[in-house]
Amino acid sequence: MKILKNLLKSPFFVIGMGLFLGTILLALFAPLFYHIDIHSRVGAAYMNPGGKYLLGTDHMGIDMFSLLLEGLRSSLYVGFMAGIIATVIGTSLGVYAGFKGGWVDDFITMVTNLFIVIPQFVILILVSASMKEGRSLSLIAFLIGLTGWTWSARAVRAQAASLKSRDHISLAKVNGVKTVGILLLHILPYLMSYVFMVFIMQTASGILSEASISMIGLGPFDTVSLGTILNQAMRSEALTDGAWWAFIPAMILVTIISFALYLINTSMEGVFNPRLRK
Amino acid sequence: MNIKDYFRPKTLLAGALLCGLISCKSDNSNTTKGEVSFPRNKTLYMAGFQWGEPNTFNPLCDWPAFPVGGNYNLMYEPLMNFNSLNGQMEPLIAKSYQQNDAVISVILDSRAKWSDGTPLSAADVVFTYEIGKKYPAAPTAYVWTYISAVTADTVTDSTSESGKAERVSFTINKERNNPLAVLDHFQAVRIIPKHYIQKQLDNLNGDLTAFQKEKLDKDPVVSGPYTLHSYSGEKIVLKRRDDYWGKVLYQDRLPKPQFIIHPIYKANDHFSIALQQGNLDISSTFIPRIWQKEKQGVRTWYSKEPYFVPAAMTMLFVNVTKAPLNDRNFRRAMAHAINYADVKELAFSQYSPNLEPGLILPFGTEKQYYSEEDVKKYGAKHDLELAKKILKDAGYKSVFNANGELEHMLDPKGQKVPTLSIKSPAGWTDWEAMVQIAVKGMREAGIDIREGFVDASIYFNSLPTADWDLILHAPSVNATPSQPWSRFESVLSSRNWKPVGEKMNENQGRFNNPNDKNYNPKVDSLLKVIPNLSDEQKKLEAYRALNVIFMQEQPTIPIVYRPEQFYEFSIKNWDNFPNENNSYTPPQIPCFGVGIKALWEINSTAK
Amino acid sequence: MLKRYPTLYYISSRAVWYFITFLAAVTINFLLPRLGPANPVDIIMARSASGLDTKTAMEKEEAYLKGFGLVELNKDGSIVRDASGKPVQSPLIKQFFNYVKMCLKGDLGTSFLNYPKKVTEIIAGAIPWTLALQIPTIILGWIFGNILGALAAYKRGVFDGVIFPSALLANSVPFFAFGMLLVYIFALQFNLFPAIGGYAQDLMPAFSWEFLSSAAYYYVLPFFSIFLILAGGQATGMRSMCIYELGTDYIKYAKWLGMKEHKIVFYMFRNAMLPQLTGLALSIGTMVGGALITEMIFSYPGLGMSMLTAIQGNDYPLIQGITLLITVSVLIANFSVDILIGFLDPRVKAGIGSK
Repeated sequence: MKILKNLLKSPFFVIGMGLFLGTILLALFAPLFYHIDIHSRVGAAYMNPGGKYLLGTDHMGIDMFSLLLEGLRSSLYVGFMAGIIATVIGTSLGVYAGFKGGWVDDFITMVTNLFIVIPQFVILILVSASMKEGRSLSLIAFLIGLTGWTWSARAVRAQAASLKSRDHISLAKVNGVKTVGILLLHILPYLMSYVFMVFIMQTASGILSEASISMIGLGPFDTVSLGTILNQAMRSEALTDGAWWAFIPAMILVTIISFALYLINTSMEGVFNPRLRK
Repeated sequence: MNIKDYFRPKTLLAGALLCGLISCKSDNSNTTKGEVSFPRNKTLYMAGFQWGEPNTFNPLCDWPAFPVGGNYNLMYEPLMNFNSLNGQMEPLIAKSYQQNDAVISVILDSRAKWSDGTPLSAADVVFTYEIGKKYPAAPTAYVWTYISAVTADTVTDSTSESGKAERVSFTINKERNNPLAVLDHFQAVRIIPKHYIQKQLDNLNGDLTAFQKEKLDKDPVVSGPYTLHSYSGEKIVLKRRDDYWGKVLYQDRLPKPQFIIHPIYKANDHFSIALQQGNLDISSTFIPRIWQKEKQGVRTWYSKEPYFVPAAMTMLFVNVTKAPLNDRNFRRAMAHAINYADVKELAFSQYSPNLEPGLILPFGTEKQYYSEEDVKKYGAKHDLELAKKILKDAGYKSVFNANGELEHMLDPKGQKVPTLSIKSPAGWTDWEAMVQIAVKGMREAGIDIREGFVDASIYFNSLPTADWDLILHAPSVNATPSQPWSRFESVLSSRNWKPVGEKMNENQGRFNNPNDKNYNPKVDSLLKVIPNLSDEQKKLEAYRALNVIFMQEQPTIPIVYRPEQFYEFSIKNWDNFPNENNSYTPPQIPCFGVGIKALWEINSTAK
Repeated sequence: MLKRYPTLYYISSRAVWYFITFLAAVTINFLLPRLGPANPVDIIMARSASGLDTKTAMEKEEAYLKGFGLVELNKDGSIVRDASGKPVQSPLIKQFFNYVKMCLKGDLGTSFLNYPKKVTEIIAGAIPWTLALQIPTIILGWIFGNILGALAAYKRGVFDGVIFPSALLANSVPFFAFGMLLVYIFALQFNLFPAIGGYAQDLMPAFSWEFLSSAAYYYVLPFFSIFLILAGGQATGMRSMCIYELGTDYIKYAKWLGMKEHKIVFYMFRNAMLPQLTGLALSIGTMVGGALITEMIFSYPGLGMSMLTAIQGNDYPLIQGITLLITVSVLIANFSVDILIGFLDPRVKAGIGSK
């Protein structure tokens, strides 16, 4: 495919994709090579890295490397789930609003703006804090997706609106194809590349949101994610005692994943919009 | 015009401004000019008592800011204080006390005075206590469960200037008949000024709720050595009163710090950082791995394990109305399964001596009631194999999978036991670690149990209603004259027994239902009798009997010993803080009980 | 008639829309804190009621319920009770109208957790710090980032190749983690900057050189923890916008016309900046989220931490007060930006809708 070839020409895409695939492979296949044990105590609290335990131990003497791998899987899961939910909601609303126009468009735009105006983070905190029991990983992903879709709705809507006036759409209308049909068969395919980019951004944002909400202690209970690792390090005063291995690797992982996703997104932007290319 | 022209002047200017400000920065503590608001060598920084913005300084409010309310003596003072080192009540507003079967009375120090010059008299004491009777919503209302009347009169006193002294007498409530509890609240109730507060109340037609809206934060009428100087969301500043009446108790000396400042931090590690940097002198928070801070000048009472003086226990309360928790063998198996050494080392940073079974502390003032023989015979210690054996003998069967992990457990009837849960507040790191270790041990023994971390508000709400299987709780934490009786009372008493769903403030696990055929009346009768015993031999027998019942029934599972307060200090700016080698007061932060004496003895080492 | 003054039409239509959004936001603000199951009085009682017998505890609870306006009152001020003797809680609608009435009077209620402090008092005391930390940081980050992005777009080449990935990397770092890293490196290890507080702890706030310079010193690390990441984000966004603009027909046309370079750049900048301005207004909303975590890491004075404790403690009045404030600020900021765009964007003047 020509698009793929063009993408591969961009060094940013290659690096970004490489990094991202690397983390996914690590998350998926690491258990085969490394025995992940996040429950057994293997040493003293905050033991230095070295020897068998590459990244030392946490405050309960549990192998930090295992925790990191486990956290990576959870964070990627949340990122993807939140990304999918946000993209689906945002795209559906955006496409419908952009295509229909008129009062439907006005109404959806108003709802979207309402969600934009009340900051996502505040809503996240409020809803998460009100769920005092049973905060699971999936629930957090669901919440993030449910509150983060506004950006994609706006973006997709603009694109759909500009497509509305194209000839093949008018043809389809004349032929009596129902709205849903038009949306699915004639508009969406043109937007696929754009939607995919939106999905990437939402995933990156989902991972960062989960890290933020877990960091202040409103994350999932009984689960290990990169955000909860950071939160635990902060509460057990790891950095103050110099136990950098309890905090910095998790932070680096979150940064790398987000960075990789942003790189992919920008390079795709460059390929799909020729004007952005060099 | 070039783009470069746009930003060069702007960023250069911003940069210059920033550099200018930084280079003119003042030092962390003193400025060069010497115009310092609070000189470091005259200021003591203490933290750990105020969380969040100070709301009010009204002693009749439920949750006033530091140092009003609680056990703080800096502004408002109590009658007497309890010294846990020697077990004696020490004088303050009251010089001495006398006790007989029906009445406990105190003789007041006639030198006591308020900050506006008015003498502190028996009228103030009676007023303070009567407020609790008149307004059931007042913070002192609870004392009326233990007393039935407060009266004042005058007696001859050869030691006082005028030859006379005032006496306040508390009639012990016959129904509760607990003189120890009366003594407890001698140090818990702060005396408030009648002439000022009565007037305010009268202006509001006696409406307490309206009065509680007053903040009393401007030149309050106090009797203590310090008064409120100023406050903000970042700190509370107290200023020394040079006309403090209590000077006479200290050979006419004043406390050394002219200012006491309580900074308000927003994250736990800030206490540790501030201590290490010498910006905080005393803290009462849980700081893990405190020995790593020693080279930064941070000290505790003991220079090695357990670093803090234990005075209470953190325990797992068990809801004994639920199967299989109603089976005493099940409970004892749980107690055998927990690795207490891990709890002490990992969760509690070694801040506790090794845990012994039972409810009596094997050291300090309680040592006289501790029986090693009983503990050996009846106590449950960490023994995984024994735990498994007890379960097996009682008819429980645990099913493990191929990896050695527990699948589920069957009760003696062959039914699957539902997964049990330990409730504990999320975010309290040391408590979370304790629960995790307990769960781990129990699962290895074959008990299907999980951690149930919930938001702190849910935790506080469920504690009294027994809306849980097990819950972590530290009852009766203060070192008071009524220990260890209060600890037994808080764990075993059936006096206010109510079914699950209604609120109980002690024995929340509903042990010993008085309506049940298996009710053991011996427990409550022992609890009723002990406060009135004066014969030490009889007391020892009574405590031993209670402790044996506790160990046999195991209604709660003690997990670790904990101090009354975490007491850690920095020697960078002040020295001569009390510690094990210099124990002129018990390990209390010097705003609290007898610990306040330290304010007179510490010396500034700051320049 | 309005159609003759397109700018006016534009502004008034925006104003109407903002007002509707404001009403909806107020309603949501009221409902959101009440999502949780726990009654705030229950929480307060759980703490204060230990050691009280049942009757006393009940009287105390009633005093609180009454004071917070959560229960129905009879004409004589006593509490209405249902068949089982429990106090009847006011219906939500009634509480809502009560709330609106009080807001219009300027009274945002009394905080539950910080009783008896009033919400307006708590907010007024803390907000100057939040604003002082966030506003300069956001504005400077925005300016610096956009300029950097524009430069990168314009110059391309090596400059772009270095700036772009670095900005992207900066934007990928979770900023709270970055704050903690800064504390670890600069405050703890190298002792260059203070780790805790907004100003030296032995000073009281005052308009003196001493205080201001201390505040500036304590400002550095919190400032950079937000600034760098924000600038990174703005730079990448601006860069994309500018590259897009540079490829448009009118720029090409202007080039061929032989227009001076700096004039072309000026137009490019102005047009690319418009959507960035909207982004700036929106980031006022993220201000509180950012404030919260920065305050936690540095024990910095401000509103964020009060908000978190309020939310965890179901302190309805305080939560409502703060979210109302945030919403109003975001709306005002957006409205101002819309007006600004109305004047700056020539398409509005020409009467073409700029949705």
